[in-house]
Order: sequence, then structure tokens, then C-alpha cells
Amino acid sequence: MAAPMALRRGLFSLTRILGGIAHSVPRALGACSANKTCNIIRSRLPLASSTYFHTATVFSSQPSSITVTKEPDALFQRVSLLVKGHDKSVLDSYELFATMAAKELGIAISKVCELPKDTERFTLLKSVHIFKNHRVQYEMRTHYRFIELSHLTGSTAQVYLEYVQRNLPEGVAMEVTKTAMEKVPDHILKPMWEEDPIDNKLSQG
Amino acid sequence: MAASLSSTASARLLSSLRSGSLSRGLHVTAARCKNRAARVRVGKGDRPLTYEEALPPHHIAHRKGWLSQHTGNLRGEEGTAERTVEDVFVRRFIFGTFHGCLANELVIKRRGNVLVVCALMLQKLQPQKFYFLIGYSETMLSHLYKCPVKLEVQTLQDKAVYKYL
Repeated sequence: MAAPMALRRGLFSLTRILGGIAHSVPRALGACSANKTCNIIRSRLPLASSTYFHTATVFSSQPSSITVTKEPDALFQRVSLLVKGHDKSVLDSYELFATMAAKELGIAISKVCELPKDTERFTLLKSVHIFKNHRVQYEMRTHYRFIELSHLTGSTAQVYLEYVQRNLPEGVAMEVTKTAMEKVPDHILKPMWEEDPIDNKLSQG
Repeated sequence: MAASLSSTASARLLSSLRSGSLSRGLHVTAARCKNRAARVRVGKGDRPLTYEEALPPHHIAHRKGWLSQHTGNLRGEEGTAERTVEDVFVRRFIFGTFHGCLANELVIKRRGNVLVVCALMLQKLQPQKFYFLIGYSETMLSHLYKCPVKLEVQTLQDKAVYKYL
């Protein structure tokens, strides 16, 4: 189990480096309302000096202990992530982050696609009392991103998923589906008629 | 509603006119029920507005962002009402604790278990008082909601004005 151990140690140092960058990207997007016009306006206005109050960090994570087991590692044929969010640009940047992380770790990415958005609309009465003819319509849009990784080991999948989930931006949800591969049981490896040909001939005759 | 009364009054006047010599077809609909949600009506031009206040709600996701970011409103996710109620309480709490110091609306984000409240404040109080109030609100909210609450505060001299209406 030397290879997974080395992989995990390397990955945790990678986590600390990339965590800072990944934190800043979604946070900046969230603060600037994910729109280019906001940035332009802020640069035009003569903003007076601003000060930041330094408060304690909540997101400091301790690296989990490395476990060595003699059991064979689980193999996954496919690990698919479905990421949902309200803001398409946040999902774009998250997709870039996840694909970059997978490439750095050497994980094969088989599919990255954008599923069509879902819109939930409802119509309510505009007024508190009567006025049935005047209504208000609201809608909630959910955008999706689908990332599929293929042929992973269990420990790689665990590390990658933990890294990617710790850096999920706010307002974004993720669903993970893993397809595991199991060894074919011995008793169905070969067909029965190949094993005992004499018995078959006797039964036919 | 004043708008509705005036519309019915005008409807009566117009119907009486119609029954007289004029034979014009007049279609009377109460087109005065305009949307008033989260919009500031145009005035004399002396009222300063921030970017957030100036844009109406149909510009959300086009020119505006979201003030409260959580997964409750996504398709297939639960907890919408609970998050909304928590948000309303947090906004009122912070508004009351930092009375008169808030420059803009709060931005509330949820990352995992952590509740991050981002606030823009005016430099009205001493920094020591600010630190105390930040610590106080963080502890109180984390005890109330049983989750780590982090308050990220940025201060400005004055409110960032985008428009005068």
C-alpha cells in the first residue's frame, strides 16, 4: 500500500496550495455578484478608503490520518458528479476547477457536459385581498453541469471527492454517483457445457 | 386600494359618457396596478441610492447578484423555508446590532455547515467597539443556530452611491 500513501501525502500538500486559490475564486464571484458591470461601476466610483476587520479563520482543516489496510482497493468504473446551481458563471468556474484538479491528479475525464436548465415557475395573486386579475409570476432556474470520470480506484475517488466537495461554492449543490466494478465470481467464469462434456453426451443419448 | 377606487370611478364616468352621444368603444382596464416590489420610484434627484437599491428585481441574474446564497431553492433540494426564515432573522439581528452602521444589504452565504455573513459598514464606531460587536453577533448567532457563524466586515467612509433618484 505504499503507492496510495504517497499519493495521499502529495494530495494533502496540494490541498493546502490549491485550497487558497479555489476559495478566493468563488468568494470573489459571490461578492461581486458574478457580473462584469458591477466591477466596472466599482472602479468608476471614487470609493473612499476601506478597512477590513480580521476575524478568526473557520475553514482551517486538519489533514486526516493516513490509514493502511490490506484489503484490495475498490475500483470504480465511473464516478459522475452532477452540479446544480442558480448562477451559470459560478458553475463554469467550478467546472474549470474540477477538471483542472482531475487533470493534475491524473484522473481520466470521459465527459463534461451541460444539461439543459430547469425552470420552476409559479403565479401568485399580486394583492393581499381580491384583485384576481392581477397576478405576479416568479421563476427559479436551476442550471446543471455533468462531469464524468472513469476508471478510478477507491482511494483516488475518496481524495478527489473530498477535495472537490470541500471547495464547493455557496449556493451550489452536488450529487455523486459511483459505479463500482466487482470481480466476476469463479463459478460463472466458464460455461457449464465446457466443463463436463461427457455428462452432456450421456444425457442426450 | 386607492388605485382601484380611482379606476372604478373612471369606469363609471366613461360608461355614462358612452351611453350619451359619444359612441366610442372604450376599453377600461385598471392598468395602474404597477409593480412596486423592491423598486424606488423616481423623485426629485436628491435621494442617493446604492447599486443594490437602484436596480429592480427583474434584473437579478442579469445585472444584480443574489443577496442570500444557499441550495434550498434548487430543484430537488430541501430546506427552503428554514433557510429563508434564518436569513430574515440574521438580517434583522445584524441591522439591530450595528444600528445605523450598515452601508448596504447583507450578503449571506452557506458553505457546508458554516454561515458566512458579509457586511459593508460605515466607519461610525471605534474599531474596538466594532470588534466587540462582531464577536458578540458571531457567538450569539452560532449559539442560536448551532453552527459556526462567520461575519466578514468591510468598512467604508460613506455609502457607495450609484444613482440619485
